[in-house]
Parts: sequence; structure tokens; C-alpha cells
Amino acid sequence: MQPKEIEAVHQRYLKKEGRTRSLVFITQILLFLVFIGLWEVLSRTNLINSLIFSYPSKIVALLWAQLADGSLLPHVGMTVWETVVGFVLGTLIGTLIATVIWWSPFLSRVLEPYLVIANSMPKVALGPVFIVLFGPGLVSVIAMGLAISVIITTINIYTSFREVNPNFVKVVQTLGGNKRQIFTSVILPATIPTILATLKVNVGLSWVGVIVGEFLVSQIGLGYLIIYGFQVFNFTLVMMSLAIIALVATLMYQGVAYLERRLTSQFK
Amino acid sequence: MMNKTPSTPAKIELGHVTHLYLSSNRAFMAVKDINLRVEEGEFICLVGPSGCGKTTLLSLIAGLEQPTSGKILIDGNRVTGTSSQVGYMLQQDYLFNWRSIEDNVFLGLEIKGIRNKETEEYALHLLDEMELIDVRKSSPTQLSGGMRQRVALVRTLACQPQILLLDEPFSALDYHTKLKLEDLVFTTLRRHKKTAILVTHDLSESIALGDRVLIFSRNPGQVRTELTIPAPIRHALPFEARNQEGFSDLFQYVWKEMEVLSDAAKGD
Repeated sequence: MQPKEIEAVHQRYLKKEGRTRSLVFITQILLFLVFIGLWEVLSRTNLINSLIFSYPSKIVALLWAQLADGSLLPHVGMTVWETVVGFVLGTLIGTLIATVIWWSPFLSRVLEPYLVIANSMPKVALGPVFIVLFGPGLVSVIAMGLAISVIITTINIYTSFREVNPNFVKVVQTLGGNKRQIFTSVILPATIPTILATLKVNVGLSWVGVIVGEFLVSQIGLGYLIIYGFQVFNFTLVMMSLAIIALVATLMYQGVAYLERRLTSQFK
Repeated sequence: MMNKTPSTPAKIELGHVTHLYLSSNRAFMAVKDINLRVEEGEFICLVGPSGCGKTTLLSLIAGLEQPTSGKILIDGNRVTGTSSQVGYMLQQDYLFNWRSIEDNVFLGLEIKGIRNKETEEYALHLLDEMELIDVRKSSPTQLSGGMRQRVALVRTLACQPQILLLDEPFSALDYHTKLKLEDLVFTTLRRHKKTAILVTHDLSESIALGDRVLIFSRNPGQVRTELTIPAPIRHALPFEARNQEGFSDLFQYVWKEMEVLSDAAKGD
């Protein structure tokens, strides 16, 4: 085959790939538009209860009005802030605990059943305790976001520490490395992909924790808006809050996914 | 055997070394009553059926584990832990994908806290000797198996050990690469006057590379036969050694010894 022919075949392949990609994208957009359109039509013709489900044009109008009078942004800002703090703390503290447990095999054997219990317990049940401990406000909400992600982070990261190929550890040992050097030169860098993958899961978990926390205590935030909308039976407000949560949570997830791609590119 | 007065300590000396592996359901005797004297600059090959404790012996000499009973001396000093005098090469390269080739090579220097201009230059000089200097900035994933194993050799040699323990370092390579790498390792170790112990499954490799071949039996691991390789074969490059007169007779001899061992194993 001549280089020109190879080039042509490759070009054809790329064109086909491009077509498939745009087709997927167009279908995705269409699906979304059909969903929104059906919702609007069904609700306006009262085929579904417009009081409960509201409809898109009304939600967008409310969103616009709230954005314009500036009453929405503080809620969004507060929830995002709480989520980010809960998420970062959950990851850091979980990694720290995992490190301590890895360091001491004795401690890991002692703590194993407790971790299993703590993991299987529904953390939101701790809500009342947090409210009494930290007062009804920001700290309780963050504590909830943290509680929900920290145990599973610990377990996931500790497991990945243990799954590092023992021969990598042996390499460092034969070069005379001590425990600290084994950790910093093998265990930690080898598990960075896993830690980042855990981070992606944690984003979702932190959102759950923060929204539940806001349900319980707060006077501000998207979780509060949902509960408030429910209490005054304004489901347009509830739906709008849900839409914002979906949007912001996706953005945050994509941010972490971007970070993951950047940091793990050298592992592939 | 070399003619040295017994009063000078051997490079490596094993006296009545026995090692047990303990678990909750049994105590397994990996090696039993091993006595061995290795002089400076000697190349010793250990062959035997799998599970005969060859790798255990290397771990003990490297100081990764302490023998259950018996003593191991290097230059007349008891081995109590890993030492910078001993380098270890594993079956696979186990290069760290998150480091560049040169950073992999510098790993030992970093761990020992002796990374400086001078030691770095020596490591790069070794890299140059192995014709790898052009890929110093590359990632290990971009290298072939043979190149990676050469990098692993440089990583071990960069710390300037006097003793090299080689745990089947050629077994994961294709035949052509393996033969070339055997010659390279052989000449490198001769030039740098290293003492070496090689564990291998390949009988012809052991005869081609070694000054002495020790055949192990298993359950428990013991030295069954010791074979001194005659000078012409010993001094020839491994590739040429295979064509030397008398090589096939030696091979037949070792082969028969191994046959007896595997027949005995079947009787278990």
C-alpha cells in the first residue's frame, strides 16, 4: 500500500468516526428536547398534575426572576461551598485514616469490624446528633456531607493501598527503603488513579449529605429551597432547585474527571 | 573452587541456613541446612524444580527476611537487614510508570539519600553503557521488555552494589532478547567485578553464565549437586559458551539430575 492510500483509508475512518460522534450528540440533544417538550405539553393539557410536576417554561421563568432579583445565588453559593468543603474534607480525612491503618497492620486488624459497621450504617441517621453537637447551621451540614463520604473513602483507599503489587514494594525494600519511603515512593503514587476515582464517587456522596443536611437544619441553600417549596406547595421552586443541583453537580463531577485525566495521564 | 586461604572471609557465606514459613495452618520448611561459600567475583547459578526455595535463599541473603536458624555472612559480617552492598533484580522489571526512565534509575540513590551530581552521572553513564541514554526522558510504557529489564539492571547497579542477586531476570523475555541480555549482564558484571547469584529455570542458561551451578531438590529445599563449570565455557560469552565443546555433556548431566528430582517429586 502506498502512503497516500493509507492516508486515504485513515481519513475515511476518521470521517466515519466523526459522523458517529455527531449522530450520538444530536440524538442526545433531541432526547432532551423531546423530554422537555412532552413535559410542557402533558402538564399544560393537564394529562399530568401541573401542580406537582410544574412545567419547564414556568420553571425557567421562576429561575429567571430569582436570578434577576439576586435571591437565588446565595442559595447556590452556600450549597456549593458546603459540598466542596465536605468533599475535600471527606477525601483528606479518609486518605489520612487509610494511611494510618496501612501503617499499622495491628490497627487495621483491630479496626476492620468497626469500619464494616460504620460503612453499613445509614449516616443520615446521625443528623439529629450533628444538630445538637454543632448547632443548626453550616457546621452540621458540612459534618453530614463529611460523614457520608469519609468511611467509604477510607475503605476504598485502604483497599487500593493493599492491592499495590508487592513486587513494587520489594523493589524499594531491596534498595534499602524504610516504611515511610515505601509509602511515599510506591504506595501513594501507585494509588493516585484509585484515589482520584474515589473522588468522583465522593462528589455524588457529598451532594447527598449536604442536601439532606440542609433538609434538616438550614435557612439557606438548595436543600432548604426544596423543603421550603414543599412546605408552601410551590413545586415549581422544588423542580427549579433540582434542575440547578443536576447542573452544578454535573459541572463539579466533570471538574474532578478533568483533574483525574490530567493527573493520571502519565500512568497510561 | 578458587584457591583462597580459608581464614579470609568469603564474600558470601551461609552456614546451616534453615528457613520456615509460618501460617495458621502449617509450618513449611522452604530451605534446610544450606551451606555455601561464594568468593568475590564468582558467578553462582541456582537451579531446581519450582518451590525448592531458591527465591527464599535470595531473600535471606538480601536481608529481606531473617533465617529461622543458621547464619548468613557478607564479608564476614552477619546480615541483619538490607544493605547497600547487595543489589536485587526481580523476574520482571517493575519500573514505576509514574517516573521517567532516568528517575527510575535514580530511585535507589534517592532512597539511600545519596542522589547528587556525581552519583547521577554514574547512573547516566551506566544508562549509556546499556545504550539507553536516548530514552532517559521517556516513560517506561514506551519501552520494549528487553529495554525495560536493562533499565532495571541499571537501577540496581546505580547504587554500586558489590553483590548482585538475580531472580530469573531473563525468564519473562523472548528468546532472542534473553540471549542478548545474558551476554550484556555477563560482561557488565565481569567488568564491574561483581559477585552474583542467579536463580533460573533454564538449565543451559545456568551453565552458560555460571562459574558454579548448584542443583536444588525440594521439600525441603536442599543443595543436591554442585557442578563446577570448566574454564573454557566459564570464560566464554554465554552465547558462545553454548557452542563450546563439552557444553552439551554438561547440559545432559544437569538434565539427568533434574529428571531424578522430578521423578522423586512424582513419588510424593
